[in-house]
Amino acid sequence: MQIKQFLLVAALCAISFFAKAQSPGNLSGILKSKSGEPLPALTVKLLNTSFLTVSDNSGVFLIKNLTPGRYTLLVSGIGFKAAQKPVTINAGKETAVSFVMEEEGITMDAVTVTGRSVVQEANRQAFNITAVDAKQLYNSTLDLAGALDRVAGIRVRESGGVGSNFNLSLNGFSGSHIRYFIDGIPMDGFGSSFQINNIPINAAERLEVYKGVVPIWLGSDALGGAINIITGNNHRNYIDVSYSYGSFNTHRSVLNAAVTSKKGLTFQLSAFQNYSDNNYRVKVDAADINTGAYAPGVFLPRFHDTYHNETLIGSVGFIKKKFADKLLIGMTVGSNYKEIQTGARMVSVFGAWHRRGNILMPTFKYKKDNLVKGLDLTINANYNLGTETNIDTMSVRYDWFGNSKPNGTSGERSRSLYRYKNNNGLATAMLNYRIGERQSIALSDVFNTFDRKGADRVNPATVDQPRKTQKNVLGLGYTYNAEDQWSASVFGKYITQRNVLSSAGAKASTNKLGYGIAATYFLSPVLQLKASYELTNRMPEAIEIFGDVENQEGNPNLQPERSKNVNLGLSYNFAVSPDDKFIVNANGIYRHSDNFIYNRLNNNQSRLVADNREGVRTLGGDAEIRYSHKRWFSAGATFTYQYLQNMQQYEPGYLGESPLYLDQMPNIPYMFGNADASVSLPNIGGKGNNLNIGYNLLYVHQFYLYWPSRGGDKLDIPQQLSHDLNVVYSLRNGRYNIGLESRNITNTLLYDNFSLQKPGRGFYVNLRYFFNK
Amino acid sequence: MNLKTTLAVLLLAASFTSCSKKDGESTPDDPGNFIVAVTPAAQTGAADYLLTASSLDTGKISTAGNGVEQDGTYRYYVTHNDKFFSMLYGQGNPGAVTVYDIQGGKLNKLTNFQSETVQAFAPVKDDILMFKISRNMASPTSTWYKVNTKSLLITGEGAVNTLALSGNGELAHFSWIKQVGEKVFAPYFSINGNGFNTNYPDEASIAIFNYADMKVEKVIKDTRTSFIGRYFMDGLSVAENGDVYAFSSSVATTGGQLSSTKPSAITRIKAGTSEFDQGYYFDVEAASGGMNITNWTYLGNNIYMVNSSAKAEKGAYVVGTTVAIVDVAAKTYRKVSGLPNTAEIKVLTTNNYTPKDGRTGYLGVNLKDGTGAVYRIDASTATATKGLKVEGGTITAIQHLR
Repeated sequence: MQIKQFLLVAALCAISFFAKAQSPGNLSGILKSKSGEPLPALTVKLLNTSFLTVSDNSGVFLIKNLTPGRYTLLVSGIGFKAAQKPVTINAGKETAVSFVMEEEGITMDAVTVTGRSVVQEANRQAFNITAVDAKQLYNSTLDLAGALDRVAGIRVRESGGVGSNFNLSLNGFSGSHIRYFIDGIPMDGFGSSFQINNIPINAAERLEVYKGVVPIWLGSDALGGAINIITGNNHRNYIDVSYSYGSFNTHRSVLNAAVTSKKGLTFQLSAFQNYSDNNYRVKVDAADINTGAYAPGVFLPRFHDTYHNETLIGSVGFIKKKFADKLLIGMTVGSNYKEIQTGARMVSVFGAWHRRGNILMPTFKYKKDNLVKGLDLTINANYNLGTETNIDTMSVRYDWFGNSKPNGTSGERSRSLYRYKNNNGLATAMLNYRIGERQSIALSDVFNTFDRKGADRVNPATVDQPRKTQKNVLGLGYTYNAEDQWSASVFGKYITQRNVLSSAGAKASTNKLGYGIAATYFLSPVLQLKASYELTNRMPEAIEIFGDVENQEGNPNLQPERSKNVNLGLSYNFAVSPDDKFIVNANGIYRHSDNFIYNRLNNNQSRLVADNREGVRTLGGDAEIRYSHKRWFSAGATFTYQYLQNMQQYEPGYLGESPLYLDQMPNIPYMFGNADASVSLPNIGGKGNNLNIGYNLLYVHQFYLYWPSRGGDKLDIPQQLSHDLNVVYSLRNGRYNIGLESRNITNTLLYDNFSLQKPGRGFYVNLRYFFNK
Repeated sequence: MNLKTTLAVLLLAASFTSCSKKDGESTPDDPGNFIVAVTPAAQTGAADYLLTASSLDTGKISTAGNGVEQDGTYRYYVTHNDKFFSMLYGQGNPGAVTVYDIQGGKLNKLTNFQSETVQAFAPVKDDILMFKISRNMASPTSTWYKVNTKSLLITGEGAVNTLALSGNGELAHFSWIKQVGEKVFAPYFSINGNGFNTNYPDEASIAIFNYADMKVEKVIKDTRTSFIGRYFMDGLSVAENGDVYAFSSSVATTGGQLSSTKPSAITRIKAGTSEFDQGYYFDVEAASGGMNITNWTYLGNNIYMVNSSAKAEKGAYVVGTTVAIVDVAAKTYRKVSGLPNTAEIKVLTTNNYTPKDGRTGYLGVNLKDGTGAVYRIDASTATATKGLKVEGGTITAIQHLR
C-alpha cells in the first residue's frame, strides 16, 4: 500500500539524516516520604534549564537527553519542603538519585496526601482552566463530548444519539466560539470522521478546558474558550483495548498502542470504531403521511438514524532524541456513514437521506525543546484529503411511522448526490523562549485553509460556486511566573481572513487585532485568584459561511465577532479533617460581544443558520465543589448560571426600539448543573482488584425555543433531570476491566438543541484490557 | 485576611446576574374572534404569534407575554369553515399545517400535521386545496392535496404536469388558486427554469380545473395584460353575481429585468363563461397616473381595497405602500387618505380582513418606528381611521373566526 511505503521512506530518511547524533546522559530518581511511601506528583526541576518533570505514581522520575555536566536538582510540591541536590551527568550514562522529602508544617497537612497531579498543575495557570483527568473515565463508554458535559460551565448539546451533531456551550458561548485542539493542534477541518463526539475518552489523557482567555500557545481565534485534548502517552510501550456493547445496538471498540525502541524509534497506533442504530424511542406529534391523521404525543422509534465510523491513526517517528523531542509523521484514515433522521426540528422526518464521508489526512509533528538554550520550537501540519457525499436521491416523503409516499422528483429535501472535498489544510508554528526562571515569550502562527470543491451527479447543470476561506492567526505573548506566588501574561493576536464567496468573484478580506492580559495570585498556597481581560475577535468559520450541506445553512454575509471579556476566578482547597478534603472553584464572567454569532433556525425552520446579533451581553458564573473522604469516597457538584441578553436596540429597517431589546437570548440553556459521587473499594476479591461504583446526575433548567418575552402559549425545552450509574471492576491493578453502565436510568425525556430528543434509558457493558511495559 | 468574607464576595460576584429587563406596562390578553398574526422582528428567526382581539376598531394588543407561538416565521394563514389554518412554508422540507378553532375567544389547537410545502392554497368547497408547484424543468410534476376542513384529513391528491400544461416550453407556475362556481381557476405565470423568468411576458393565462377530480378542463389566455396575480398573491376575485375579476401587476421578468409591455390592468370573466370578456378592460395605470396594483382585498359590491406602487418602485415582490379604492364597475381609482405618510411605512399587511359589506376593509400598517396598527378603511369616503394598536412586531395577517 502506498501510504505504508510513504511512511517507511519518510522514517528511513529521518533515521539516516539524524544518525550522527551524539549520546547524552540521563537522570533518574525516586522520591519517598520519611515513612518510605513513594511520592507521586511532585515537580522535579533542573535549575537554570528547561528540564522539568513530575514524579509518577511510584514516585519515580526520569529526565533524558541531558548534556553531560553539573546541575542542581530541585524537588518541590505542595505539602513538602523544597529540596535541592547537586547532580553530575555523564555522557551515555544514567545517573540515579533518591530523595526523602520532608513534610511541611501544620497548615499544609490538609493537602499533604493529595499532592498535585498534572491535572491540578494545569489548573494553577493564570488562565481559567479546568482540567479533566480522562484516565478516571477510561472504563466508561463515554466519548470526549460526554466527559466534557460534566465540567462546570459546559453544556454539550447533541442532536441525537451516537454520531449526531453536537454543539458545546461554555459560559454562554457556543458553536465555533469554542475551538478544539488535540495536543495543541487546532482540530478545524478534521471532517466528520474525527470529532469530539466520536473520539472515545480512552484516546485522551486529560482534557483542558480554557474558559474565556485562551493562551497564545493555543494560537487561534477562539473567543469564548478552548478545549485542548491531551493525548499524552507517557507509556512508551503499551496496549489498551476496549470494547463495549449496549442498548440501541451500540458497539464501540478502541485500540491504542505504542511500541518504542531503546533508540527512540516509535510506532503509535490508535484505532476506534462506533456503531449504533440509534433506534431509541422518541415522543412526537405524528401524522399519517397519507391521510394526515394526527396522533399527538406518541412514542415511536427512530427508524433512520444508523451511524458508524471507523478511524485509524498511525504515526511513526522518534521521541526524546537529540534532534527532536518528538518527530512524528502520521496518517489518519477513516470513514463514516450517517443516516439523517430529521431536519433542524423533529417535525421534518427523513427516511433515506444520508451521508458518507472519509478522512485521509497526513500529519506532521515536530517538537524540540532548547533548540538554542531556552528556545522551544513546535511545528505541526496536516491536510485533509477526505471526501464527503450528501445522498438524497429518493423522491419520497416519510412520516414518523416510517410510511412513505412519492412526492414527485425532488428528493426528500433537495435531490442531490453532491460529492465534495473541503480541502482543509493547517499549519502551525510555535516558538517559546524562556528568559531565566520566570519569564517567557511565545510567538505563534496558525494558518488554516478551506476550499470546498465538488460536483453533483444528479444536478450536473448546477455550477459549483467557489467556497474558499483562508485564515491566519499570529500571536505574541509574554508571561512572568513567580511560582506559587503570582503570574501574569500579556498577549496580542493579529488575525487575517480572506474569503472567496461566489463565482462573481465576491471576496472579503478582514484584519483584526485583539489583545488581553491574564493574571493569577496565590493568597495562600491553597487559595488562588485569577483574573483576565481580553478584547478578542472571532472570524466566521468555513461551516458557518458555507454550510455543512446538511442541517447547517451557510451565511456568506456573516461578520466577525468582537468581544470584550472579563473573567474572575477563585480556587480554594481546605480540609475539615485529615480525611475530609474539599476543593471549591468559582468563576464569574462578563462579556460584551458585538456582532455576536449565534445559530438560529432559518425562516423555513428546516435548517440552522449562523447569524449576527449587533450586541449580546453575558453575565454569569459557575461554581464547583468537590469532597473526598480518604481515598475511597468522592463527590462533587457543579452549577452554572449565565444570562445572555440581547443588546441590539434596533432591528434592520426599523427606526424604533426593537421589541427584543434587552430580552434574554432564546434557545440557549442558561441554568444547569451536575452532581456525581463515587465509591472506590480496593482489594475486593483479591489484592489489586478494585471495585468502583459511580453515580452522575445532570440537570438542565427549562428554556424557551424562541424569544422569552414574546407570546403566552410558548414552545419550550422542558426541564431535564437524568441519572447515570456505573460499576467498574478492575483486576490485576487495572489490566483487566469490566464496566457496566446505565444511562438515563429513569428513562426521562431528554431534549436538546431546538427540542431534538436524546436517547432514553440505555445499558452498556464495557470490557477493557490495558498493558504497559 | 478574612477568608470567609472574600469568599462570600467573590461567590456573590460570580453568581451576579443582571435582571435589568425593561418593565414596561404590560398589555393584557384580549380574547375575541379576530386573529392578528404578528412577527416580532424581521430577519431574526423569530416565531410568529397569533393574538386574539375582540375588536379591530379599538384597543391595544401586544406580543409581550401574549399570543400563541407558531413554529417559524414563513407561515401563511387562511380561514375556512370556522377554522384557522396556519401553514409553514418549508421549501423542500415538509410543510406543517396547524389548525385552530376559537373557543371562548381563545385559540384552540385541533391538529398539526405535515404535508408538502405548497405555493398556493385556498378554500374550495369543504376543502383546503393546496398546490406544490414545480420550478424545475427536469421534473415538471406539480402535486395537489385536498384537506377536508371537517375531518382534518387529507382526502385526495394528484399531480399535474405543469410543463405540458403551458404548452409553450416553459413551466406554468400558479400564482394562486380560486374556486369559481364548480371549477377551480388557477392563473399562472410562465417560468423557464432559470429563476422566475419567461419569454412570454405579455400574456395572461388561467388553467381551469374540474372539481373534485382536478382534471384540467382548459387553459384560457388573454394578451391584453401580463400574467394575473403574483407569486403567492391572489389575483382573482369572484363578485356577488359570479363575475370573476383579475388584476395584473405587469411584473413579468425576462433575464431578470421587468419585460412586459402591458400596463397593470383589470380584466373580467363573465359569470358562467370560461373565456376572458374582451368587452371589459380597466387600465389601472392610466386611471391612477402610473400606479400598478400589487395585491387587493375584495370588500364586496365591486369595491376593492388595493395596494399599489409607483412605476419607479415596481418589482415582482414589492408590496405597494399606496392604498387606494378601486371600483371595477365604475373603473375608478381613488387614493385613501388618513394613512401614515408612505415614507414612514415599513410594510403593509397583504392578508387583510373585510366584513364584505362593500365599504369596509381592515388593513395592517407597520411603521418604520416599529409601531403597528390596524386601520379601518372606509371605501365610500376613501379614508382611513386608526383602530387596534398592535405592539411588539409586524402584523402579517388579520383574520376572523366565528
